[in-house]
Amino acid sequence: MSNYILPILFLLLFAYCLYKRINTYDTFVKGAKGAIKLVVDIFPFIASILIAVALLRVSGITNFLAQMLAPIFNALGIPTELCELVLLRPFTGSGSYGILENIFTTYGADSYISRCACVIMGCSETIFYVATVYISQTKVKKLLYAIPVALICSLIGTILACLICKVM
Amino acid sequence: MNIFWYVMMFLSILVLLITNPSAVLSEMIDASADALSLCIELCAIYAVWLGLLEMVEASGLGEKLAKLLRPLIKKIFKVDNAETQKIIALNVSANMLGLGNAATPMGIKAMQSLDDKSGRANFAMIMLVVINATSIQLLPTTVIGLRASAGSENPSDIILPTLIVTFCTTLLGIILVHTIDKFKRQKARAKS
Repeated sequence: MSNYILPILFLLLFAYCLYKRINTYDTFVKGAKGAIKLVVDIFPFIASILIAVALLRVSGITNFLAQMLAPIFNALGIPTELCELVLLRPFTGSGSYGILENIFTTYGADSYISRCACVIMGCSETIFYVATVYISQTKVKKLLYAIPVALICSLIGTILACLICKVM
Repeated sequence: MNIFWYVMMFLSILVLLITNPSAVLSEMIDASADALSLCIELCAIYAVWLGLLEMVEASGLGEKLAKLLRPLIKKIFKVDNAETQKIIALNVSANMLGLGNAATPMGIKAMQSLDDKSGRANFAMIMLVVINATSIQLLPTTVIGLRASAGSENPSDIILPTLIVTFCTTLLGIILVHTIDKFKRQKARAKS
């Protein structure tokens, strides 16, 4: 079902452009040109966050933190198995997809743990990544209370996810 | 972000100095290489989405979408600039479809047009970050795909719980940002 949504949207867009007599080729080229400059601009920000995350992982600090925080997470209704995912999710998108796949193979894709992990992935974002990349092209250096609020929302989302997967 | 990054780097290197000193540089370069290949992948993705986006804008669809979402965006973000409203509308709708990568270039553009060059994050910028962080997902496409390939019987049965949870967190995020902003302005007024 979800396979059809994008192609249909694209066809509608092309049909609408024809109706509006837009030179689609010229327009597309003009837009696509912006991609290279954009990526060159955000590369240093992505590199620095990935370097820090990689060092945190090999040094074993994330693992240690996950074990330290397990009692607190358990008290909030978050299973120990999900601690690493919850901790790394705000930092790395590709990294957390790796952990998600790990959870699938370890516990089975239809288990409670896996379903929780899916909902957590859906309701949270790579907050630090989004925050750095979004403001990277502005004069702003600090996002004030944006990150704490986003983190609180994600944590509450995680707790909700673990609850809701028990009943649904 | 500065302090945060510093702490992460310093602690990790300190621990690695004791446990595995030879890994430090190689891990850093590996991670940087990962960032580079991620960027190349992103460049490909952005080229497609920015190309399509240009078509959306040139055909006037962006204007229409923005008009549709304008009352909501005006209320949530408190922005009056039509151009900015349009970019935010595109960013939010891409997020709803689970297209985080398509949302990013528009998010950057939106931030640039919200930037008042004062070096301070304003209300709308904070709201944009929070909304992106908690974004309502109508279709968590990537997760469903991964779950299907892991042999799930019914990979899309997580759509409804995800929808409920993201709806709650997004609402909470909006309320929190509004409340904190109100509180801050009251405090500023009390001072002056």
